[in-house]
Amino acid sequence: MENTLVKLLHDSVQKFPEKNAIIHADRNLSYINLWKKSCGVAQFLTRQGLTSGDRISLLIENSIEYVIAYYAVLMAGGAVVGLNTAAKSRDLINWIQHSESHFLFTSSTHPELDDVLKGLDTNICQLVFLDPCSLSEEFTCWDDIEPCDAIPDNKISDPANQLASIIYTSGTTGKPKGVMLSHTNLYENTISILTYLKLNETDSIVNVLPFYYSYGNSVLHIHIAVGGTLILENSLLYPHKVVALMSETKATGFSGVPSTFNLLLNRIKFSDFDLSSLRYMTQAGGHMVPSYVKKIKNELPEIKFVIMYGQTEASARLSYLPAEDIEVKLGSIGRAIPGVELEVMDESLNPVAPNVTGEIYARGKNIMMGYWKDPDTTQSVLHDNWLKTGDLAYKDEDNYLYIVGRSSEMIKSGAHRISPKDIEEVILEYNSVEEASVVGVEDKLLGQVIKAVIVIKPEHEVTKMELLRYCKANLANYKIPKFIEFVDEIPKTASGKVRRFMLQN
Amino acid sequence: MSVEQQIRDYILENYLFTDDQSALENEDSFLEKGILDSTGILEVIYFIEEEMEIKVEDEEMIPDNLDSVNNIVAFIKRKTEAA
Repeated sequence: MENTLVKLLHDSVQKFPEKNAIIHADRNLSYINLWKKSCGVAQFLTRQGLTSGDRISLLIENSIEYVIAYYAVLMAGGAVVGLNTAAKSRDLINWIQHSESHFLFTSSTHPELDDVLKGLDTNICQLVFLDPCSLSEEFTCWDDIEPCDAIPDNKISDPANQLASIIYTSGTTGKPKGVMLSHTNLYENTISILTYLKLNETDSIVNVLPFYYSYGNSVLHIHIAVGGTLILENSLLYPHKVVALMSETKATGFSGVPSTFNLLLNRIKFSDFDLSSLRYMTQAGGHMVPSYVKKIKNELPEIKFVIMYGQTEASARLSYLPAEDIEVKLGSIGRAIPGVELEVMDESLNPVAPNVTGEIYARGKNIMMGYWKDPDTTQSVLHDNWLKTGDLAYKDEDNYLYIVGRSSEMIKSGAHRISPKDIEEVILEYNSVEEASVVGVEDKLLGQVIKAVIVIKPEHEVTKMELLRYCKANLANYKIPKFIEFVDEIPKTASGKVRRFMLQN
Repeated sequence: MSVEQQIRDYILENYLFTDDQSALENEDSFLEKGILDSTGILEVIYFIEEEMEIKVEDEEMIPDNLDSVNNIVAFIKRKTEAA
């Protein structure tokens, strides 16, 4: 298990067995108990015949059980498929089937569970319920799995080539995009982040980021690797509560996306709280406007505010801007993290001169193995071990990167990356809709919100309210369009490609 | 129109996309039922501040005041009585 996340967990268990790894509301989990329960679940999976690289889906909110299940799957040599808990059943079934998951760990109270079960063959994908349940004897219950001390033998024999996780970044039917990460990808990125964030066992974080996304996933692993503590808060609905928790637990760190910080800055006066233990904050997941960065620096002058950039395809992180550089390099995403090369290249894959815009390419041991069951798309972004990020940027004379745009159509809204196709596909299934195109439009709080431009079939009538109600029933809340515009025709190029920029006004 | 009905109509129209009154119980938790997200709650606050002409202080942004129609109605009543 050398150079794996399991090894990092094992080291923390050896050093700090009784220390809290996770605190969630009134429950906590020590490192030794995390180890023992994870070993127990890993042994259970092995007894059930799980073999190297077999996929296991987790449909679990951030919780003690999520963390145990994640490490258990790795210990058993399996690959974690962390499912977006806000997703609707059509996406969930799509991901579980596409990943060919052998197990689904979930709660019997998940609101989409009944619909998910209707679409799944539980002979292929066995269910494990995390809560005391009495649904049926054919399903396994979490509490029936006994903790133990030892992990199954030799389950991670080739960390660099063995699948450890699939993270889905879109849910389009038949062709969802599943990023394949190896044990080495996750380990190397964890070590690299720790090199510049310099965390240790005294660090603790109030975590609001979902673990099923790569940012939250990396926050989880860096804390477990150093013997730190994660205090889970799954809702940002009441920002006052989140900051009060940071104060009460004397958290040393906090991580968020731009909308997290916008929300806090709009509604919270940090000076009302004792945040004297807070040492650093990190921001990733999109561009945060410089005025907000300045505001944070003004309100919390003692805090190191670290800006980071990355992609799921890079396990999480690619670059960072150290806190001490923020003022002189405001607006930059910094330089490559240790172990990663970042190059700005032109269309012929030649590096461009400073201050000339090109596309960011990345290389390092954190770069994904490819997209699950999709060699064509993999080939389109991986060239000679370089990852084509789709982000347009330039470097200054000191090699600091500045993003100027994005060549892909993905919408960035809050913490979410949303494929317009996922939404268009659902809207087009509505009987009265002839054509639909979805774009992101600027939003002060969320970065972007979703706008759907729709052509209705001749002699059909439909109201915005009807369409939104239909979207609510079939799309996760964060994918519901904020704006709907009915048009006679969607503007297209001569070759029939939608002119998306014309829809953004 | 009563405060309760105004709040109900706003939630039904903007987050449940319906005028079917049975789609929302006054005690339904916005958080547990997934009716509102963090931006939704801000929009509700702006609505309350504009329509009811009260100021929601930062420290008042807690579930006890805002997490259901009943909680909001009681919160507004307390605020207006104290004013």
